[in-house]
Order: sequence, then structure tokens, then C-alpha cells
Amino acid sequence: MKISYNVLKDYIDLSLTPEELSDKLTMIGLEVEEVEKIGQVPAGVIVAKILSRRKHENSDHLSICEVFNGSETIQIVCGAPNCDAGNIIPLATIGTVFPDGDKTFTIKKGKIRGVESFGMMCSARELGLSEDHNGLMILPGTYELGKPLSDYTHPDTVYTVNITPNHPDWLSYWGIARDLAALTGSALHFPAPAHIATELAGDWSNLVEVEATDLCPLYTARVLRRVKVAESPSWLKTALLAVGIRPINNIVDITNYVMMELGEPLHVFDLRFIKGEKIVVRRANEGESIVALDGKKYELTNNDLVIADTEKPIAIAGVMGGEYSGVVNDTTDVVLESAWFDPASVRATSRRLGLASDASYRFERGADRGMIVPASLRAAQLIIELATADAVSPLITQEQPMPEPRIINMKYDRVRNLLGMDVKSDCMDKILTSLGFEIVRKCESGATFKVPTWRIYDIFGEADLAEEVARIHGLDKLPDVKIQATQSDISQDAILHMTELREQLVSAGLYELVSNSMMDEASAIKGGIFTAEDLIRPYNPISLDLSCMRPSLVPCLINAIRYNVSRKNYDLAFFEIGHVFCKNTEKFPEERDELAIAITGCAHPERFSKERTVKYDFFDLKGIVESGLNARRLKSFSFKPGSDPRFLPTCCAELIIDGKSAGFLGEAVPELTKGIRLNTPLFMAVIQLDVLFSAKERSQYYVPISQFPSVARDVAFVAPNDLTNKQVIDFITSLKLDNLEDIAIFDIFEGDAIGKGKKSMAYSLTFRAADRTLTDDEVNAMYEKLRKNLAEGLKVELR
Amino acid sequence: MMLEELLQQLQAISSDAVASLNAADSDAAIEAVKNRTLGRSGAITALSPQMGQLPKEDKRAAGLAFNEAKTAIQKALNDAKAKLAASEAASAPAVDVTLPGRAWPIGRKHPISQTIDECCDIFRRMGFIAVSGPELETVWYNFDALNAPLNHPSRDPQDTFYLPDGRLLRTQTSPVQIRTMLGNKPPVRIVSPGRCYRRDTPDATHGVHFHQLEGLYIDKNVSMADLRSTILKFATEFFGPDVRIRMRPSFFPFTEPSVECDFSCVCCGGKGCRVCKNSGWLEIMGAGMVNPAVLRNAGYDPEELQGFAFGFGLERLTMLKHRINDLRIFSDNDLRFLKQF
Repeated sequence: MKISYNVLKDYIDLSLTPEELSDKLTMIGLEVEEVEKIGQVPAGVIVAKILSRRKHENSDHLSICEVFNGSETIQIVCGAPNCDAGNIIPLATIGTVFPDGDKTFTIKKGKIRGVESFGMMCSARELGLSEDHNGLMILPGTYELGKPLSDYTHPDTVYTVNITPNHPDWLSYWGIARDLAALTGSALHFPAPAHIATELAGDWSNLVEVEATDLCPLYTARVLRRVKVAESPSWLKTALLAVGIRPINNIVDITNYVMMELGEPLHVFDLRFIKGEKIVVRRANEGESIVALDGKKYELTNNDLVIADTEKPIAIAGVMGGEYSGVVNDTTDVVLESAWFDPASVRATSRRLGLASDASYRFERGADRGMIVPASLRAAQLIIELATADAVSPLITQEQPMPEPRIINMKYDRVRNLLGMDVKSDCMDKILTSLGFEIVRKCESGATFKVPTWRIYDIFGEADLAEEVARIHGLDKLPDVKIQATQSDISQDAILHMTELREQLVSAGLYELVSNSMMDEASAIKGGIFTAEDLIRPYNPISLDLSCMRPSLVPCLINAIRYNVSRKNYDLAFFEIGHVFCKNTEKFPEERDELAIAITGCAHPERFSKERTVKYDFFDLKGIVESGLNARRLKSFSFKPGSDPRFLPTCCAELIIDGKSAGFLGEAVPELTKGIRLNTPLFMAVIQLDVLFSAKERSQYYVPISQFPSVARDVAFVAPNDLTNKQVIDFITSLKLDNLEDIAIFDIFEGDAIGKGKKSMAYSLTFRAADRTLTDDEVNAMYEKLRKNLAEGLKVELR
Repeated sequence: MMLEELLQQLQAISSDAVASLNAADSDAAIEAVKNRTLGRSGAITALSPQMGQLPKEDKRAAGLAFNEAKTAIQKALNDAKAKLAASEAASAPAVDVTLPGRAWPIGRKHPISQTIDECCDIFRRMGFIAVSGPELETVWYNFDALNAPLNHPSRDPQDTFYLPDGRLLRTQTSPVQIRTMLGNKPPVRIVSPGRCYRRDTPDATHGVHFHQLEGLYIDKNVSMADLRSTILKFATEFFGPDVRIRMRPSFFPFTEPSVECDFSCVCCGGKGCRVCKNSGWLEIMGAGMVNPAVLRNAGYDPEELQGFAFGFGLERLTMLKHRINDLRIFSDNDLRFLKQF
């Protein structure tokens, strides 16, 4: 909402500068979003008259003018097409300073193509008064020559304030002035008269009939006769234009003006157009429609409240008047409506019809029922004054009893404790009473307040009163306090272990991604793990591209790889951690945390020669996963050949943690990378974090370190190609060889010498005892046992 | 042979060998001297039978002389070898230390994660514990329990993503606060960072998802002054000691009193610039004292307990910290961007 500094001063004795006001408004809760200076003309610009014009000898577009500045005649060179003799124009005298972006420029005495010039005549745009730059701004003949132009331009400051939905009371000058008065102690001036003379003959008591008293508990109307519809006086137009309301005619302008003044939307009907001279406030009948002031036809339902005559709706109550019942140029007799409409009803109708107005905006947030009559009085007063109405009916009122006022008990200590601010009890009383709260009862420790009619939408309890105290007393007075410790039952930090995991992955050289959780269906189900039916989808997606919740991070990583490869970033090592979603509870229960890793390209692109072209392979990926798991001190994890349609069957491992499947890793199938110009294979891992984070940790107890030397033995054999490293190690471990400390593969090769379908494997074994140096005999005995068992148990040929 | 003669010969062999070794410039030359003196058929070796023929009283002197000669030659041999090795090392081609090193790979956390971690860290030092919760939420946790009025525009399907079963994608991380209060006895002092969703058309400052961090502190005597001091501490830890904060009244259904908390502009220091729209202030977070209705919804007694809550957008904080002006770059995941943090 926009408010004018000048107009605000009509309601409060404001001793604040426009800049100070901006700050105060913000600090009491009316956030000032924009401050706009209007009608501001630089000092030194005066009203002047062109006496004569002749052509400049050295130019085909410049003129030389004799200009009277109120006391003397001076010479000005001017390029405007309309610098004709007789025109009253703005003249920037020597020394006038104009803003110019961040800088300024000053008008100086000058010579233009050899002719002296003593100032500058201005266009409206040069003065910042409008966008008009077609020629000099022509001023009315009524302006006194020599006077500063700013005497006539109504310099003002206009604030755009953001009004929070809990403060419908701020949707008027009066409401804002009231809070400023509470803050500054300045005097207020209420604009509405207490009564006006009424002398219209006739019985008007049947003019109004309210059927829907639930939606309209207070309706007032007043008939004013023999009004003259005309243009509004300039002060009224200026006041409306300043806040962005277009003047229409004096009657409509008055209703808008009073709405801005007191926050109460009003409406005026032409009495001629009220069939049967009767106003009925009722719910619309099904099938009824109305053409509103915006010229559009609206179909109404039984939920919409309308103002009707004896035949048809003439206004959508609280939203907009009808096109054929409002004030027109030849209107003479009018009915002035001031009423309170149910906020929920206005909101529902406004929303359903897609029709909003300044009136509906105020009614749906909650109008002040106490302001209905004063607003009517104020508008009637102005109509009499400005539209010369000469006969006015008494106020015709249909009213239900006012609801009981809301009463709130407040304990001073509790407010002080809540705010952490030492506000004296009588200071609280003073703040609240100046805001319109009435003290019902009071004692040493607290008081009981009655909530004013304009705050019933927001003030329900003690905490609300505390807010009032805080904002008027000043939030800038909150003291600095020491941050205290808390002994809380919650000790499990849910983020820390995620952070740890991230840092482990980063230290393995991976970059973290943060991708959209929403994607298109085709990307989401690519790879064949999830089907379209598995996907969780909002019913109101923003687009088809963002219509499904990601069931896995794999498509996110694929997208990032596509993005980077198309920008020639080829050597990529990424991971992402995030929530993934699935409807099919057999696959996983709806929402879980996933980790995905992707690597492709070269491992050391920063190096040279052969090393530069060494590509990432499966074991780089597995190594990253293994180091991560080792760093977490897992008690038990292993890898076995896995089957996941997203990975090549020949290169896919399943990660097992504590006997449970924790995810898969391998080389991505071509389907996933289709359309990406990848020159290297893509390796990915997908790990379920619920399994990882719930995994058992191995013992943290210290194992004594042997002081005795180790003895090494190697064993090599030819095995069938499908014998895995794990099978060999498990087999050797199962032999429980005495003092065997470590088994490690050190060579593996295939070739013609070995035979088709076979491979040679070589392991080194380390023996060591905790309490003595092993003898050759002891070790040899174990070694022989091993060789014998290998040949028999694994059916390998020892070499 | 007389002793005299033997000693002279030994002396001659020794000095000749030492001189040759001093001049030797290759392994072969050194080896040759060694062979012709100490070798199996070398001069010294050849002389040694002569010692047996000397008179008894001369044997001791001859033995000493043999040892002297051998030691002198051996020392010269060693010196020559060391000298040669040093000169070879000196003339070997140097390692080109300007060639690229082999990277010891280190990646980077995403800047949003870095902000989350930094924020959580700062709040942990003040006694807050980080908690998390689901992104698919019920209307009750996301709106009702937080005192959002039934007609609040944020509930509109225009602004919030709903699932066909009536649940929604959380629009804030505050549901975690309700879940935490319902599951734990007071006091609670938590922050909940996480991903939220709003139905905004993506542009430079909006996306369908964003990250938020909310804080909650409920105990018997937690006040608005505690709120202010907590936020001030956070602001100065995150943006540096010169940051000032300003609280001004605002409105959120979740809190009463409610405030907006502005930070002095981190770009211009509060003098006014394009980023702060010349106001000197940046709107960073909404905060306030938890509304008694919310405490009741969470099973806490508002007569006994009170406290504050606050929330802010992590993208905005990250953008301000790194002077990023378009939010969309966060989820582009361009490696050249990620490497910068």
C-alpha cells in the first residue's frame, strides 16, 4: 500500500522528517519497501515568462529568448520547439543544482554558439515531474512569475509499505497515525464529524433489508439528494494520485479518499437504478449473475453475498459494484453504503470469481466495525461540501448486536520474562492504552485489557499484547545477554554423521552435487530399477520436466555428467547425498537417504605422458567405497558379484554390510549414458545410508603389537577363471592356520601358457606369533598344510 | 731381499697407486689400480712372500709397512669412488620440478552443504543440536500444528506441492520442530537444516526446492533478548565481526511476537548499495517467540514453557557469502563452479 507523507500529516502532528518517518514505520512493523519523492523540483527553478523569441544566427534549431523572471528580463538560448513568446515556463536560474544519476550538475552562465545564456528553461522530464520531453513544460497563467516552482508542484514523499496480514487496521492513514501517535506521543486529528445535519423529507426506514444477517451484521445507508457529479478539486486528486488511485469524479473519489483515510470501503449507488427503492442484502440465487464495474459478467452462487434491489443484484457485497447501478455524470440522488461484511465470505467470493479490489482486500482481512458509522459521516460531509448535496437522510442502519468485546489478562512479569526486556508496568499500560486497548481492571502484578474493534483479528492473548509492547517500546532496546547452556535429552545429532561422510568422500577426491529432487518420468525410470508406478508425484507439478520425485540419485548424477561433458568437463568424480522417494514399499519404504558416486574419465589428467591417459576403472571406485567404509570402522562389510540392471552384469558388485545388502557398484549400462558424448566408461555406486549408518562398528579395544619378526611364504597356483579372490581368502582363513597374520594377493595373470579358462593366482602369507619368534619348522608345517588343502579343497594346480 | 729394499718398493707402489687414484675419472680406472696393487696378482700381493725370507727381527717392521701401504691404497680407493659418485651425481640431469605433481585428490563439498555445515557448527557451539526429518509431510505437521490459518495463501496448491493422498512436500523445515517437541521432553534446543519445496517458477532467486535452516529453543525462561543475542552471535560468526543486526516487528502465525531480522549489508557494510537496495540492510530471517498455540499443539504447556524460533534460507546466505547472483547455478553442478569452493 502507498501512503503520502503530506496526507498523513492531516491526521497527526508529525514532527518527523520524511526520512525519519520511513525508519519509524519500519520499526513499528510497517516495512517500507520503497520511498519515492514526487513533485520535487530543485531549488532555483522559478516560474518565468517568455517575452520574445528569435532565431539563433549560428544554428537552425536554437532560439534566443527574452525571458522575464519576475524582476528582470534575461536572455536564454533554448532548443525547445515551443519556446514561444507568451508561454509561462519553468526556468532553472544560475546556480540551480540538478541530480544526474549519482552525481549532480549545476546551471552556469554560458555561451551557446557565441550567444550568452543566463539559465535553462525546462521540460517536465528535466524536472522529474513526468516523462514528457516534447518541449518546455507550459505552466498555467495563474502561477506567479518569479515564485519557486515547488510552491505549485506539491512536493511529497510517498512510501510503499508492506502490511502484514494481521494488521488490517494499518490499511488506512488513520490506523497508521494511531500507531505513530503511540510511538511519538503526537496529537491525532480524527477527520470524521460526530454528526451532520439531516433534513431529507420522507420515511427511509424501509430502504434497507438485510436477509443474510450472519454475513452482514451491520449495514448503513444514507440518501443524499441533488449532488453535482463533477471533477474533484485538485487537493483531492493530488491526494489520490499520490497513492496511485486514479481520480474519476468527486463522488467516487470521496469514497476512495475516505477508504484511505479510515480504512472503510464505501460504495455509492445512483438511487434511480435501485429498483423499488429498496436495498436487499442477501445471498445470491443460483443462476444469478452481475456485470461488475470492470465490465465483466460474473456468475453467482448461493455462497456469494450480494447487494440487490427488488429485482437483481446491484453489487457483489464488499467486492465490486455493478456496472449499471453506480454513479454516472447525470446522477443526482445517491445512496451511500457503509457496511461490515464477513471476511471469510468476501474472501471466498473474491477468490472464486478471481476478482479482487481495494474493498475486498480490506474486507477479507477484517474491517473495523467501529468505523462503519464515522466513515459514512465523513463521506457524507465531503459529498455535501464538494458535490453540493443539499438534502441528506438520516443514517438508515440494520444492525445485529455487537459481539462481546474480547478481554485479555496480562501479567507484567510474564511479558518482561518473555521479552527479556525491563519495561515498567505503567509504560506497558501507556503503550497499550495509546493503541486503543482499554484497561478494565488493574492490580500490582497485572491488568485486564479490552481489545479494540480494529484489533480483534489479531489480538487473542498475552503474547499478542507482549508484541504490542515490544514494537512500540522498541525492539532496538533488547539487551545483549549471555548465551546460556541447556541440558537437553536430545543428544543424537542428525547432521554430524552426514557431514563426516561428506568429508570422507571429499577427501577421496569427489565433488559433491546438489541436484533437483524433481525430474521427468523418463529420466526417473531409466535403468530399469523403478517403474512409472513406483514414482511419487505431486498432483500439481510445475511442469512435466519436474513431475516426479527422484527414486534414486543415479539419474541426478547422470544429468550432471551430461551437463559437464557437453561443456567439455570430461574427468569427473562426483557424489550426492539426498532423500529419494518411492511409492512401492517392496522396493523401499517411501523416503530414504541415499549416497551415489560416479566417476568417469582419467584419474590424473593433471599429469603427462602415459600417466595422463590412465582411466578410472572399477577398482578406483571400489577403492573409494572401501576407504570410506574403513574410515567408518565398520565391523563387517564385503563385496560379492551383484545383479542390478543399471550396471553391466560383467562388472557389478553388491555391497554387504552386516549381512544386509547396502547397495551396488559397477560400470553403468550404455542405456544410462545414451546421448552423452562419453569417451570413457562410467562407474557408479549407489549406497543406502540407513544401512550404512546403522552398521555395527568394530571393537575399539587395543590389540597388542607383536615384538617378534614375521616370516613370509608365497603360494601360487593355477585356478579356474571363475574362482574369486574372496573364495580363496575365505578358504585359507577357514583352515585356521596357526599364527597366520595376513593373506594378500600379489599377482594374477592369464595367458596361453596357463591354458584357456584358467588363471594363475599368487598370494603372500605372513606368519607371526605374539609371544616368540617362529621357527622355520613351525612355519613350514603350516605352509605344507596350506598347500595340501588348497590342492584338494579348491582343486587348483599348485605351481 | 733386504728389508730396506722391501720398504722402498712398498712405498713406491703405494704412492704410485694413490697418485693414480687421485687422478682416476672412471670406475674402470679405479678398478685397474685396485687390481694392479691389491688384486690377486697385484704388486702388493706379489711382494708378500718376500716377507717370509726376511730375518726374524725385521718381520715386524715389514708387516707394519705392508699394512700401512694397504690402508693408504684402500683409503685412496674409497675417496676416489666417493669423488666419482659425487661428480656423476652433480652432472646427472636434474628433475624438472616444474612438471605437474601427481594430485592427491581432494574434492569439495557443495557450497550449500558447506553453508549447512558451517551454520550447524556455529549453532552447535551455542548448544543447539542438529536434527532432520522427512520431506514428505502431512498437512498437520507442515501447517496446522504451526498455527497457519486454514485460509493462509501458502496452503494453496498454487504455492505448495501436494501428493494425491493429501500429503505435501514440506514448505519449511519447521515440521521437524513439532516432531522433535512431540518426541522429547523439554528443554529442546535444535536446528533443522534441510530441503523444502515451494511451487515457484524457477528464476534467478527462486527454485522449486531450496534449503532452509530453522532453529528452536524452548525452556522455562527463554526470552526475546536471548533470541537477539543468539542471532547476533550467528551473524558475526558467519559474516564477520562487523555485522550488525536489526529486528523489526513482523507477522508469522508460528510466532508471537514475530520479527524480521535484518543483517547490515555484507556487500557495502550498511552504506547502501544495489544488493541492499540502498537501505543498508538485508532481510535474512524471520523469527519470534513460539506462539502458545504451537506449544500446545506440540504437547508443551505454554504456561510453563516459552522460547524462540527462527528460520532462514541457505541459498540466500550462500549467495551473499560468495556473491553469487543466480540461484540456478547451484543445481547445474558444473565442475568449474564446484571447484571454486
